[in-house]
Amino acid sequence: MKHALIIISTLLLSLTCNHALAQSDDLVNVCALGIGNATYLKDFKVKLPANTTTPQKLSVILTKGMIYKFVVCNAEGYEGKAVIQLSDAGNTLVSNLKADGSFVEAVGFSCQKTGMYNIFCSFKNNKEGAAVIIMSYITK
Amino acid sequence: MNRRIFTAIAILIASGSLLMTNCQSDNKAKKNDDFTIPDSIFKDKPLMISKEAMNDIIDNMSSPVEMAALIKSTGVPFNQKFLASTSKVDNLDTDFKQALNLGIYGCDLGYLNMYEKTGSIISSMQAIKKLSDQLRIGHFFDFNTIKRLATNNENIDSLMYISVSSFNNMDEYLREHNRSDISSLLVTGMWIEGMYLACQVVKEKPNETLRERIGDSKIVLNDLLLILKNYKSNSAFANLVKEIEKIKKEYDNVTIIVKSGEPEMIEIDGMLMFQSHDEQIVDISDETLAKIIASIENTRSMIINL
Repeated sequence: MKHALIIISTLLLSLTCNHALAQSDDLVNVCALGIGNATYLKDFKVKLPANTTTPQKLSVILTKGMIYKFVVCNAEGYEGKAVIQLSDAGNTLVSNLKADGSFVEAVGFSCQKTGMYNIFCSFKNNKEGAAVIIMSYITK
Repeated sequence: MNRRIFTAIAILIASGSLLMTNCQSDNKAKKNDDFTIPDSIFKDKPLMISKEAMNDIIDNMSSPVEMAALIKSTGVPFNQKFLASTSKVDNLDTDFKQALNLGIYGCDLGYLNMYEKTGSIISSMQAIKKLSDQLRIGHFFDFNTIKRLATNNENIDSLMYISVSSFNNMDEYLREHNRSDISSLLVTGMWIEGMYLACQVVKEKPNETLRERIGDSKIVLNDLLLILKNYKSNSAFANLVKEIEKIKKEYDNVTIIVKSGEPEMIEIDGMLMFQSHDEQIVDISDETLAKIIASIENTRSMIINL
């Protein structure tokens, strides 16, 4: 009964006003719950139509001495699976898409240089997709 | 069983009505904001940098939680004296003053959360509630939940998440509704307070990590000035820019050198970790550090005494 209530309440929320906004905020909340032993810092919402060949560019200042964790959550109802690449001055540092085509749950970055970094987000095979990226830090 | 179903339906109807009310009031608030706080500075003067570039810069600013985490990682105990007094909150009578000080209190809230000082959060929260309501962004702050979590000393992770995401949502909303001037002040207040806290800790107990963080904030400072200069046609902004430029002048003697190192990749519990071996050296003399600390203190004092 408790589970049913939670599910129905969630449905009700997504059916009322601010549909898209409520959905993306819900996804942020759900995704933030899954960051494990990390502390939430900020979130990014990405939505791209099918056949988009240019990834969305996001920028963040990362600080020396911090270990960052980026968790990706894909929205339901979209085929696309988000591919993120953390980049420093054009050089890709780490991606959630492995060379064998599989995804890792999260990517981490142990920062040794304060500065601006970019996160490029696209959807595998240029499919339509919507996703949330949660940026958090891990305490050493 | 019937009773349980009845209760379930009653909760659903109640939560549905509540959601509808929330959505409606949210829309009303947004509508009001559009009309009552026109972004006159935007209309009067073209921006020096594009709105996209400005959004990028504000997004870039590191969270005050990161500075609080670094402070805590040094092992320096919590110090209530470092926090801004909330006693003058009623004197803040313009959007400019309110937004800057909201940033200050927001950063203090992060510091309190980091040290799990839930008992002290309430006065900070009351100031934040007052200022965010006056700026018509209070609906993004779930005060009751934060108060409950703080009062009952419940789940600190949730408390931190709700506090930080509320500020992120306020900031996002301000920028989406052409109120980037307010957003830039919020971010400036947070940055100044984060720096102030770090400076006070370093003054009390010298620490190499924090000293370096104060030094490499030079990178962020340039971006901060860039966004504030957009609104220099407003005299209050012009004065703030002058203050921040004084800090920047002290940073001219800070040099940052980066040596590249071979990175390595490791996989831990489903997480692919990029371990950078770059080496960043921040050259900051004692004299320069003392001058930076003094200029941060002056600017912070100016803001909290507006």
